[in-house]
Amino acid sequence: MVELVPSLLRQELAKLAEADQRIDGRGRWDSRDITLETDCLYNAEGSAKVTWGDTIIYAGVKFEVRTPWPDRPAQGSLMCGAELRPVAGRKYEPGPPSPQSIELGRVVDRGIRESGCIDMDALCIIPGEKVLGVMIDIHVLSDKGNIFDACALGAIAALRTSTVPAERFDIGEDYPLAVSMTPTMCSFTRVGGRYVLDANDEEELGGDERIHITLGDEGHLHSLQKGLKGTFTPAEFAEILDVAQSRCAELAALVNSKEE
Amino acid sequence: MGGYGDIQLLNEDGSRLDGRAIDEMREVEVEAGVLPAADGSAWVKHGLNVAVCAVYGPMEAHPRKIQRQDRAVIDVRYNMAPFSTSDRIRPGYNRRSREISKVTAEALESVVLVERYPRSKIRVEIEILAAEAGTRCVGITAAAVALADAGIPMRDLIVGVASGKVEDIVVLDLDKAEDNYGQADLPMGILPTTGEIAFLQMDGDLSVEEFNTCLEYNMKAAKEIHVLMVDALKRRYEEKNGGEA
Repeated sequence: MVELVPSLLRQELAKLAEADQRIDGRGRWDSRDITLETDCLYNAEGSAKVTWGDTIIYAGVKFEVRTPWPDRPAQGSLMCGAELRPVAGRKYEPGPPSPQSIELGRVVDRGIRESGCIDMDALCIIPGEKVLGVMIDIHVLSDKGNIFDACALGAIAALRTSTVPAERFDIGEDYPLAVSMTPTMCSFTRVGGRYVLDANDEEELGGDERIHITLGDEGHLHSLQKGLKGTFTPAEFAEILDVAQSRCAELAALVNSKEE
Repeated sequence: MGGYGDIQLLNEDGSRLDGRAIDEMREVEVEAGVLPAADGSAWVKHGLNVAVCAVYGPMEAHPRKIQRQDRAVIDVRYNMAPFSTSDRIRPGYNRRSREISKVTAEALESVVLVERYPRSKIRVEIEILAAEAGTRCVGITAAAVALADAGIPMRDLIVGVASGKVEDIVVLDLDKAEDNYGQADLPMGILPTTGEIAFLQMDGDLSVEEFNTCLEYNMKAAKEIHVLMVDALKRRYEEKNGGEA
């Protein structure tokens, strides 16, 4: 379905930006309220539900025993995918995975993978024969803006609370998956000419390009992505990176609070 | 149905493995209006099954060739999330989900007043988040509540229920082991007010007497679930009106 971008909305957002206001009354660097639930899906080995304002996503972790890639005979694998099914909103249509959903899954995947929070060597069962594959699937149920941050939060929370079903695979007793870090994502969207944190659906509709920043435990960068048409300056990036540092630390603390 | 005989499905005292009586259904919870992006939505937990349904529309039907001059088309998608079963499901449509989507759409078309919305489309998106036997029934129940929550006129709700046979005994609402190793499964979509049947499938082996017992159990369960559906919708309207029914 074609999204009609009303020029009136863009004008309104520009006017609000001049007065340093946002359409839902938040400050420029304020996030909407977040509720994180873990262990909420029967049959998933790790799961999380994220309610981020009116955006709702589920993430589920499954494991499989597979043969290793020939070039990495003693390493397991990690895969993170996102589905933007038509349930998520009026603008989504059925069909093969859209470029948007592939980008979403891959950006979340990179943040987790590149942080090195999963030790791929530890996922090896028999070198050259059997390794564990970890699969994180993200399901977006209600898109009311900023699904990237919600999906990244759900994915790492599901991963950090997951149990390897070793008994089912006949490889010993079930054990919690070792995850050494909590990478989290912070996204910024240009709305009315300046960047804001955590854009809602209206701001995304009447806004421009977005930047996704995934930071690990010591504030290190693990994944960056710029999406949609637009450019930004190094000074603008420095400003939002600063905001991301403190925001990602808060999100990581939220995830870590879900573990015993 | 799967094999029969090797797995014991009833206890010595005639009760079922999870402790239920033969005509007792699993616990059901219903909630309406759970997805802010949707025009109407519902969440149903039935035993360990969890289904979420979003309804969008009525909206313009396109491509144009799917339009009907005298009524709305109902476009149902039943989908199981990759993490909903014990072995991960590859995302995307398969033959099973296509068939279930088709017969579910036809069942819903028989209760929605489709003639009120010519040339339009009503989208019904059923997502199974956790599966433990009977997901098509849970999906139907969720779809009916979501359609009502969207304010789409219907002549009745529709309730998804199933009965079946294990160890030659007819039981209500099969769980996973009973579904896998039992002898028959009879899912139905029932209009609780009139007792009409809008959805029917069956596989396995049933005598006419056994079928009649299944039918009786299904009708009884439909009435029970109907109360929960109406309650959920009432709670939703109280919320919308700030506490007043």
